[in-house]
Amino acid sequence: MKYVILIHSNPDPWGHPTSQFTAEGRAVPADRHEQMDREFDALLAEISASGEFVTAEALADPASSSIYTWSPEGRTATDGPYAEAKEQLAGFFLIDCATRERAEQIAIGFAGPGSTVELRPAMWPGADDQ
Amino acid sequence: MTPAGTRELEQLWREAAPRVLAALVRRYGDFDTAEDALQEALLAASRQWPDAGVPDNPTSWLITVASRRLIDQWRADSARTERERLLAYQTPPDELVGAPADNPQAGTDDSLPLLVLCCHPALPPPAQVALTLRAVGGLTTGQIARAFLVPEPTMAQRISRAKARLRQVGARFPLPPAHELPDRVAAVMQVLYLVFTEGHTSTAGTGLLDVSLSGEAIRLTRRLHRQLPGDPEISGLLALMLLTDARRAARIGADGALVPLAEQDRDRWDRGQLAEGIALIEAALPSGPVGPYQLQAAIAAVHAEAADAGHTDWAQIEALYRMLAGIAPGPMVTLNHAVALAMVAGPAAGLEMLEPLLADRRLRHNHRLPAVRAHLLELAGDRDQAQQAYTAAARLATSIPEQHYLHARALALGAPGRQA
Repeated sequence: MKYVILIHSNPDPWGHPTSQFTAEGRAVPADRHEQMDREFDALLAEISASGEFVTAEALADPASSSIYTWSPEGRTATDGPYAEAKEQLAGFFLIDCATRERAEQIAIGFAGPGSTVELRPAMWPGADDQ
Repeated sequence: MTPAGTRELEQLWREAAPRVLAALVRRYGDFDTAEDALQEALLAASRQWPDAGVPDNPTSWLITVASRRLIDQWRADSARTERERLLAYQTPPDELVGAPADNPQAGTDDSLPLLVLCCHPALPPPAQVALTLRAVGGLTTGQIARAFLVPEPTMAQRISRAKARLRQVGARFPLPPAHELPDRVAAVMQVLYLVFTEGHTSTAGTGLLDVSLSGEAIRLTRRLHRQLPGDPEISGLLALMLLTDARRAARIGADGALVPLAEQDRDRWDRGQLAEGIALIEAALPSGPVGPYQLQAAIAAVHAEAADAGHTDWAQIEALYRMLAGIAPGPMVTLNHAVALAMVAGPAAGLEMLEPLLADRRLRHNHRLPAVRAHLLELAGDRDQAQQAYTAAARLATSIPEQHYLHARALALGAPGRQA
């Protein structure tokens, strides 16, 4: 089963890793950051070794996006950002896990200071037996 | 030397590859480098055989070429002694394969130690699956990646990490001691069943060069069954796969929609596969301890024997689920048991059996519980509750055809749906 781990965050200025650029992240002492980095590296190494990691991307500043909409009259292009939300999509990971429980176990490790992590199952074209 | 088409060539080296690998690992001990050498030998074969023709003994040819690669590699490795190299050169390839046991024509099938090694407990299930398909199934990394809908580099990574892990834990060839064997064979069965369900439930791999994972699982389980014909659970697993796969053509309707078992056109079931599956399970059941694969195969056989859904022997199915719940309890067994019970004792009895599952946190993201409840509520004539449960199930479904099916059922009971 494939799952997407979505990282919603509000780095200011926009930058990666987001935890270095959020107000919450700046409030965390350096040694705690280092410890979290080590833990995260270990998690990434683990899911790479197990073959559960599929792909990941860090996303550029939402202000750099282009927005396209549809109406009966036609399609329109405007400049981003898409929404003036407090948190923006900052990046995603695609993982492939045997169970939902396993995906949850992995995803919780992605939560960091100033970012909210969302785990969403991907739809698939096949079907289990009824 | 005989000329051969691409199809025959691929068939040929997929049969030969596990035997070559087994021979190399047995002789040289290192799975990782043996596998690399085999891949190089296969590459050489793919270049030479189409033009030069297939050698009279393709297995020996591959062993010779792969051994040379291994030895070339070892030349660079000063830790190896001259004696080892000489010995390797002096051993004729046929001796490495071993003498044919029962069928001199087909040669020996010694894929069992290889299967057991690939399904080593130190490996996570996705790695066991990938390695088995590559090393025993003889599939390419690209074919496996396409079958599992992941990028090829991801699958390549999965395979190379798995090989490295085997080396790290010192996984050995040939078979583990007898007292460990049942657990290791159980792991092999689990991997083969995972491969089967992946193939059976997905619609991936329909391209010309893609392989059918369910067909591959059946092929490998047949080989396992031939090597351990007295193991009733392996017979049960093979029977379960055959009985399930026999219904494949009837599962998807002309419009691509999912057709539930009760509504399937039974003329489209594969009678040959059903007969083989039924014969296997009938022979296995009285022969030894009854395990979960045998019981699931027995349930599939009862469905197969009914001329139509109305003639299904639900009392027998309910009894089999009760036995299954006894030896392998779990929420998924309870769900299926509840359906069978509802068919025997009425929907209220089935719904009552589902009650405790409503508080089971493991099921809170699973669409099957509300889907089964919806079905039983509909049988009970409670249209409103059934419609709500179908809608709830559709929200949780992650399979697109299943979600369409659940939306359609909710729509039939008056829920708003997508545009007709």
